[in-house]
Parts: sequence; structure tokens; C-alpha cells
Amino acid sequence: MHSSVHSAVRTAKNRPKNLNLLSVRFPLSAVMSVGHRASGILLFLALPYFLYLLQLSLSGENGFLQVKNNLNSTWLKMLMLVFIWALAHHFIAGIRYFLLDMDIGIERQTAQKSALLVMILGVLVTAIAAFFLF
Amino acid sequence: MSYQAKGLQAWLLQRLTGVFMALYILYVLGVVVFSESMNYQQWSGWLSHPLMNTATGLFFLTLAYHAWVGMRDIVVDYVPHDAFRLLVLTLISLFLISSSLYLLKILFSLTLIV
Repeated sequence: MHSSVHSAVRTAKNRPKNLNLLSVRFPLSAVMSVGHRASGILLFLALPYFLYLLQLSLSGENGFLQVKNNLNSTWLKMLMLVFIWALAHHFIAGIRYFLLDMDIGIERQTAQKSALLVMILGVLVTAIAAFFLF
Repeated sequence: MSYQAKGLQAWLLQRLTGVFMALYILYVLGVVVFSESMNYQQWSGWLSHPLMNTATGLFFLTLAYHAWVGMRDIVVDYVPHDAFRLLVLTLISLFLISSSLYLLKILFSLTLIV
């Protein structure tokens, strides 16, 4: 991130207190990183719901059919698409971080390109899922 | 302040748990997508198989750890004041512990019935 710290004379006293987000450039890798965190939080919050679906689907023949029927509603399909995006983005961004840790694609240009690729792939997977769901 | 998992250990475990979860998710998605319409017998039979049952339990334990490290990193970055931060972290850990117990209950009830 490129903040506006131009002058070396800026001391602790006259340092701006609130970070003006408009003064910060967000490169693609930063946007992707925000997506990684946001999708992680989404998946975390979704845990009880998926556990409930699992429990219901295993509770017997009726519960199993109930889950299947529930997932046929348009609203739930749209909710599922949000979770599918979150999982896909988190998954693919995770692979990118893993590769970066092994010094693969660590050059700035490559890292920016792979960040864009992660975002495109996340949306692409969601689009494919939408195609099969609807 | 330290919240148990720290430094290199958390970094390494975050990746190892990520790899295990990735493999499990790919396997489960593969089975569910390619076996088109499973019925209840097949679904419960598959999940109550000892290997699948154990893998699912292990998956959730790694998930709980992974989510803890990730959520903690986010909280430490954005939540101000030590007391408030501690409260949020406590709620997150309770959330993860109760979710894990819920999953164990589901897995155990499955093996006991079959």
C-alpha cells in the first residue's frame, strides 16, 4: 500500500490520526486480500447453518428430502451462490499464498497478475455453479 | 498478548490445515457432483463409513483451528481496546468450540444408529 508519507519531517505529533482511505492506493493484490478475509469471515459465519443442514440430512429419510427440497428455492440458491463464491475465492487465493510462500510468482508484476487471476477464477467458478443451479 | 497459536507454528499449521481441507473438499465435491442424485441410504452410508467419519471429524478440527487463526488475525488487526478484543476473541472461540461439539454429536449419532 502506498500511503502519503512524503515528508521525513512528519513527527509523531503532527502525524494524521485518521487514515484517509482515499489517500491509499489499493493494488489488485490488496483488493484480493480483502476478499480473502471477507470470504473467510463469511464461511465462518455460515458454519452453524451448514452443520444444521448436515444434521437434518442425516436425521432420516424425511430430513434428507427436506434438505433437498429446501435447496430448490430460489432464495437459498442465491445464498448458496454467495457461499460458493466465498469458498472458491478463499480456496484459490489460498493456493496463491501457498505458491508465494514457496517463492513461486513472487515478482511484483507476476503477483499482481495472479491476484487478478484469483478474482476472475472465483467469479468464474460462481458463474459455472449458477449455470448448473438455475 | 499471546493467544496460544503463534508465529511460525501458526503460519505452518494454517497452511497444513489448508492443504488437508482443500483435499477433503475436492473429494467431497467430486463425489457429490458426479454421483448426481444420491438417496438417503447412500448419503448416510457414505458418511458413516469409518474412514469418511474420521476424515470428516478431522476436517472439522482442522477447520476450527484454521478459522481460529484467521479470525484472530483479523480481530487483532481491526478491533481496538484489549478488553473488547478479548471479549470478541472469547465469543469466537466459544462459537468454534460449540460448532465442533455439534459436529461430533452428528458424527457419533450416525455411527451409533448404523
